[in-house]
Amino acid sequence: MTPRWKFLLAGGLVFILLAALIFVPILRRRMKRASKLQQQSEEQARRELTQPIAINSGDPRVKTKLFWASDTIDATLAPVTVDLPLSNDPVLRSKQVLNTLLAGPVDAELRTLPPDALLLAFYLLPDGTAIADFSEALATSIPSGIASEQLAVNSITRTLEANVPQVQRLKILIHGQEVEALAGHLDLTGTFAVNTKTGQPPVNPAAATPALAPAALTPEKAPGKLAQPQGKP
Amino acid sequence: MAAPSGAPTQQSRLNVVVLDPAHGGTDPGARGTGGIRESEIVLSFAMEVRRELEQQGFQVLQTRQGNENPSFDDRSAIANAQRGAVFVTLHISSTGLPGTVRVYVNSDLPPVADSNGMIPWDRAQAPFLGLSRTFGDFVQGFLAQRFKGSPETSQTASVRQLRTTSAPAIAVEISSVTVEDRADLDRMAPGVADAISRGAAAFKPSYIVPTTPGALP
Repeated sequence: MTPRWKFLLAGGLVFILLAALIFVPILRRRMKRASKLQQQSEEQARRELTQPIAINSGDPRVKTKLFWASDTIDATLAPVTVDLPLSNDPVLRSKQVLNTLLAGPVDAELRTLPPDALLLAFYLLPDGTAIADFSEALATSIPSGIASEQLAVNSITRTLEANVPQVQRLKILIHGQEVEALAGHLDLTGTFAVNTKTGQPPVNPAAATPALAPAALTPEKAPGKLAQPQGKP
Repeated sequence: MAAPSGAPTQQSRLNVVVLDPAHGGTDPGARGTGGIRESEIVLSFAMEVRRELEQQGFQVLQTRQGNENPSFDDRSAIANAQRGAVFVTLHISSTGLPGTVRVYVNSDLPPVADSNGMIPWDRAQAPFLGLSRTFGDFVQGFLAQRFKGSPETSQTASVRQLRTTSAPAIAVEISSVTVEDRADLDRMAPGVADAISRGAAAFKPSYIVPTTPGALP
């Protein structure tokens, strides 16, 4: 290599180094700004989604039964009656009662749902199936365990049952997704029965309504072959 | 393949207990303020229960031996591959009166078997709900004698782990990780083990499963 080439190569390297020194900080600043903007828009979208349903003072005041934990009997619910202006529209009414349930009782010890959980959306299908979409905090902040998770779901279904007769069964989603279990225990793949007197039986595997199985000592029917889950050999 | 619906041709009796220490791996389960982790406690409970059951003559299988976290389906599959087995999943709660124990059986499930006579995997527990309740009531009865404040009979709950298990299946939940000292929970292990093994022994004569060629397992 001739000295001229060496000189050109060294010059080129110095130029690349200088360019990198100038442009890398600018690039980093821009990436930071873009990520901040993305975070802000996500937060904005979240806020829009989770706008609490305003209680309309024009709505008729109704004696509303809310189910929180009992202060006398362990792992059971107790109804608390409060006067609330509630909409006649079943979806709005469901959102109003569930948001009040999420807000919690006066005695925070009797909460059944985590204080940071939010109701993101609520839909009611013509067949009486309601879909309640909660934020991730419902699954991540709830005390883990069969008793506490069942109590949480029962407080939701019994509150809906007491105040929104149109809801016959409830499907719970977490941040728009179906999850296998609430916090590792309670089955969220099916629907939970709500208004069992007026409704049809739930169509999915899991049902919240306790059903006393007859004390049969053999299976009700000789079981057939067991279908394997997807992906199982 | 459709399952024949003819008369039972043979009978099997309970001889295997599948023990499922819940959680494990990256899932610690319930956590207490004192650093108590459900996944660790249930594993040590399982060892104690295993000893008691083996003394009663049962063969015991565990869904995990160490700090792994098999899926719900993988845990159920161990029980579903056995003939004449019962399934016991062990849990520690994060709420409830410390020193009490509750037994759960699965909530009601819709009818089983599709048009081909196959039982859907996700409803495998359906034909066993009556047996599960009988087994659960036996175990809960013995637990109530040992641990005051525990219910007299088993409860129902939509427990994910139980739904895919095609055997009499119960969840045993001990209260709770909120105890200040882990020793308080460890002291409960012999009583829980004794109640489960006595419950399984009491349930054994009742467990007659009509089977037909080609039927489960």
